[in-house]
Formats: sequence, C-alpha cells, structure tokens
Amino acid sequence: MALHSAVKGKLISVIGDEDTCVGFLLGGVGEMNKNRHPNFMVVDKNTAISEIEDCFKRFLKRDDIDIILINQNIAEIIRHVVDSHSSPLPAILEIPSKDHPYDSAKDSILRRARGMFNPDDMA
Amino acid sequence: MAATVEHLDQICTTLDKLTLDALTLMQEEIDLKINAENAMIGGETHLAKTRYILGHNSVSNLQLPTENSPEFNALTVVHTNDDEYGVKQFDLESHKPDNETYLNPSKWFGYLVPHDLQFAQNLYRQALQWLVQAANVQNRLRENCLQIKQLKELKQELSSN
Repeated sequence: MALHSAVKGKLISVIGDEDTCVGFLLGGVGEMNKNRHPNFMVVDKNTAISEIEDCFKRFLKRDDIDIILINQNIAEIIRHVVDSHSSPLPAILEIPSKDHPYDSAKDSILRRARGMFNPDDMA
Repeated sequence: MAATVEHLDQICTTLDKLTLDALTLMQEEIDLKINAENAMIGGETHLAKTRYILGHNSVSNLQLPTENSPEFNALTVVHTNDDEYGVKQFDLESHKPDNETYLNPSKWFGYLVPHDLQFAQNLYRQALQWLVQAANVQNRLRENCLQIKQLKELKQELSSN
C-alpha cells in the first residue's frame, strides 16, 4: 500500500453509452489531464465511426492508460481495430451496456481462445 | 528417435494441462463479466431512480466534465505488476475525495443528491472491481493461448522430423 502511494497509478478509460460513462465516472475513473484530454468518450447514435476509431487509437497510444473499457456493441462497430491490438497493455475489456447484454461469443479474446480449439472459428 | 517420442509425449501432456487451464480461465472471465453486468444493471436502475427524482437531464453526459472543465485527478487508478510467470496483473487503488486534488464525482450532479445516486456509485465501484479481476484473468488467458500456440508449433516441427 505504501508503494502504491509513492507511485502514480495508471488510468482506466471508458468508451461507452451515456449510462456506462456516467456510471463509471461516478465510480471515480474519470480524469482531465493538464492538456485537457479526458479519458472517456460518450458515444451516442450521432457519433461517427471515425470519431470512435480515433478516440480508441488515441487511448491505445497514451502511456497513462492501462485498461480500456469499451461497450461490446461499440467494439463490434470498430472490430477490425479492436482485433488488431494484441499487446497485454493497455488491456481492452469488452463490457455489456444497458441495451446490449454481454455475449461471450463476440468477445475478441475469448473468440481467439476458442479458435485454438476449433479451427472453423478461426476463419 | 526414442528421445523425440519422449519429447512429444511431454509436449502433449503440457498441451493437455494448458488446454484445461484455458477452459477454466475462459469460464472464470465470463463469470466475472456477468458479475460486473449485474452490478452495472443495479447501478443503471439507481441512475434511473435519480433521474426520476431530479429530472430527466439532471444525470446525463451534460453534467460530465468537458475540455473546458478544470483539471482533476481520477479517484480510482490501477497499478500494474508482473506475476511470477511475467503476466501483467492489475491492482485497483481508490483515493478518498479530499475536495482539492480528488473530487467526489457525485458533486457534478448537485450538492444535495438523492441516496440513489450514492447507491449507483457504490454499484459501479463494485462493477469496476469485478472488471479489474476480469482484466487479470484475460491477460492470463492471453498468455496461456500464446503458450499453446508455441507448443503446437514445436509439436508440429518435431512430428515432421
């Protein structure tokens, strides 16, 4: 614990719908840094796919972020970018949202793991 | 020839163990995410109750900080360490709000907020704990799959000789 106080921890970022962002920011993950860059993005029906992609790539590049929480339905929209990330840091965690329950069949890592056992799923 | 067969047997035994581990880890990750989902559903219900009390737009992204908001620090952060196998593992750390460096996020929604908002806050904190555990399991699973892949390649190489 003493070690924790001395070293500044890394951030958890959120890309999600309104309730997901409000909820997790209420939980204390939100931060606005000196350059006025937030570690969250609220996605609604008017948000362009390119905006989501850019934000996701920006979070991947930031060295102060170690975990990215992203709603699974949003991860589906930018699946090609999510799947191309293979490094353990930052860890990308696909989470459910209000209108989209968690589906393990769509999860990037679990799909990859299942592919180890069933070659048909690799296609 | 006998040495190669022995090597192949060892690889197959290790592959069996790793495969069982992978299945266990997959189940563990799904369970943790379902726990997080249940906490989030509870949080969403309390957010809805807060909206009912305070008004529809009183708990929305309009209250969240924007680029023009003053700088503030995250209350909850993670510390990343390597475990005994060199796999990245996260450890959650929460700071107490002190109204200077660390602000209580519930203040964004007003100073006299309903209890439901605090219930929602607690449930989302619980969800975070489940999700950090899920991230740890996910990293172990990723490492496990990498080892399976490498051993399969080695097995194929030995079998072809």
